[in-house]
Amino acid sequence: MIAHTLILVAALALSANPAKPAKPAKPAGRAAVAPAASSGNAQKLKPGAKGKLCLECHGAFEEQLKMASVHTPVKGGDCTGCHNPHTSDHGKLLGASPNQVCATCHASVVPAAAKSTHKPVAESRCNDCHDPHASAFKFNLKKDGNDLCATCHKGIVDAAASAKHKHHPVQKGCVTCHDPHGSASAPALLKRDVPALCVGCHKMDSAVLTRKHLNYPVKNARCTTCHDPHGSNVKGMFLANVHPPLAKGQCSMCHEPATSKTPFKTRQAGADLCRTCHSQKMAAMLDRNRVHQPVAEGACLACHGPHASKDKGLLKGNAVAVCGACHADTIRRQAVSVTKHQPIGAGECHVCHDPHGGNAPLLLANPNGIELCGQCHDWQKHSTHPIGDKVKDPRNPNLVLQCSSCHRAHGTEYKHMIPFPTTSILCINCHERYKR
Amino acid sequence: MTTLRSSVAILALAALAAAPAAARPASLKHLLSIYADDKEGPLKLPEGVACSDKGALVVADTGNGRLLTYTFLDGKLAGGTPVKLAEATYPVRVQIDGKGNVLVLDGRTRRIVRVDAAGQFAGAVEWKGVSGSSSVAPIAFKLDASDNLYVLDVAARRVLVAELSGKVGREIPLPRDVAEFTDVAVDAGGRIFAVDSVGSRLWMAEKGANAFQAIGTSLKDRVSFPIYLAEDRGKLYLVDQNGNGVALLGADGSFLGRELEMGWSDGKVYYPTQMCVNAEGVAFVADRNNNRVQVFSVSR
Repeated sequence: MIAHTLILVAALALSANPAKPAKPAKPAGRAAVAPAASSGNAQKLKPGAKGKLCLECHGAFEEQLKMASVHTPVKGGDCTGCHNPHTSDHGKLLGASPNQVCATCHASVVPAAAKSTHKPVAESRCNDCHDPHASAFKFNLKKDGNDLCATCHKGIVDAAASAKHKHHPVQKGCVTCHDPHGSASAPALLKRDVPALCVGCHKMDSAVLTRKHLNYPVKNARCTTCHDPHGSNVKGMFLANVHPPLAKGQCSMCHEPATSKTPFKTRQAGADLCRTCHSQKMAAMLDRNRVHQPVAEGACLACHGPHASKDKGLLKGNAVAVCGACHADTIRRQAVSVTKHQPIGAGECHVCHDPHGGNAPLLLANPNGIELCGQCHDWQKHSTHPIGDKVKDPRNPNLVLQCSSCHRAHGTEYKHMIPFPTTSILCINCHERYKR
Repeated sequence: MTTLRSSVAILALAALAAAPAAARPASLKHLLSIYADDKEGPLKLPEGVACSDKGALVVADTGNGRLLTYTFLDGKLAGGTPVKLAEATYPVRVQIDGKGNVLVLDGRTRRIVRVDAAGQFAGAVEWKGVSGSSSVAPIAFKLDASDNLYVLDVAARRVLVAELSGKVGREIPLPRDVAEFTDVAVDAGGRIFAVDSVGSRLWMAEKGANAFQAIGTSLKDRVSFPIYLAEDRGKLYLVDQNGNGVALLGADGSFLGRELEMGWSDGKVYYPTQMCVNAEGVAFVADRNNNRVQVFSVSR
């Protein structure tokens, strides 16, 4: 605990006093991490000892050497290419930090000005995917192909595998479209950005695709606004939730005809277009005491996609991302909170807030705070510190005690989402006579 | 590593609230809190507050759907007369003009209505001379010393400068690449400010200018979600609703310090929404989720 505090104090002191630019760390025992191919005999091993001496104790590596893919220095018996046999400041007697060890030979795996970098690569966790010694799979990968990707991206890989309409390249392997280390030209580790990547295989001028797109010139459109490149259960490989006019091939309900000079121009601007179908719903949204500002602005597309979406309600993404685009402070509070509030993590902001409008501040779905929390925490409505309309808050004559008297729904830096370091400090806020 | 990172983030958040107070003496000192009307009826979720240099104070007692009119002179609070209007059932913002009339923005109808000094409805502001779409959706407004209206119109992302009658004289577009503006303010020199809540930044249009420019730097590490700006003799008070405090800024947008902190006792705030400062150096803060308005002296 003391050590933890010291680290925090040190971190704070550092942030308070911006220091000179940090020098790159000097790897300890750097001499031991000479590139494998040219390491020579830095450790001055006896003649004939190279490749054999280590195996006298680490005999298990004999088996690894028989595997299909063996790391070049291992194959050459050059253990000191990565390890220092005597001492090290790093785990496994590595001659430098893991990223520096790998970068000695593999510095070029990430493009210099990458538009996207795989998180484990950015965090120097090469060992997440590769076995540094040997493996049964190409490139020393820990698992084969998509199975490896599924370690972290299980949802995508499983959905792709079970999709009714499969995308062939996904079956071939994620690396067909993605570069697992980083991409110089596209987001999401894509080898090329969309649509260039897609049109590499799909000839947009073909009669079939032209007909399927109802003659709209979509070759420069972003395919992934409608299609799920990982496969889908919806015909046409559409994203799971499709705007009905699109699903029915009625593009011209919203856009000018395909024969127009401006075929993608919408028939009306902004919310007026949405109102042609959703007028009742939109009128109800506006008939509230408080309207969410994008709704007041008529900026439906601030949160929704007009074509298709992975998420319900044609949201542009998970609610954490959509809501967090403007309410980053709130999302950040949850991120650093010791105790997490489940709906926020699950992107279910709408459980507590009405995203279009409401009659209570903060667009709360229920102005009665106790009932709102009680949707999920029913037990606490009946078996907790006295709360409710008859229980006055001793700190403020205009307040009664409710859940938010002690907890902050988006979390705090303290346990149980309380705004004080300890429960006792919270309690003596009201129970002053117990103050010590 | 993750623990360390989140701990540092937590400390940074804590420092955000604590450090500025330690660096500079507080400029807001609590005098009293207003909890009730003249009949001891409690305030409920008061969202708006406006004050005049003649001692008038009006509160948008939003949760009760009414206005409350007080006077605050020589440190003494009096009045608390309720005003209920069929034309403004959900008052969210208020201003007092030079004649003592009150202008009220109703959250439900998104209209600005006038209330005379006797508390009677005196008509709604009807927009005339608006370019483009005639629809105006005001979410904030202020008055200058000459009783010109400065209205933040989110329907067309612009600030309208209009007479009290609603006749629009100028339209200043707001930058398109900024997510959300939540307030507008004007200083004695005619400079117009706009609050970008998402970017935590101030924008300013010089007197007579037809465009806003960002001023200062982003205040993201100083405030959480600023929603209201009050001007006082060259200083700006930025109300940080989600951060439960007030940031004090220079007229150039520079950060000068932070006032107030989250809490339920007198002197602390819980989701503050608006504030005003009068000529006597008294600040009134609509402390919404504490169901009260708090009165502070300002050290100038």
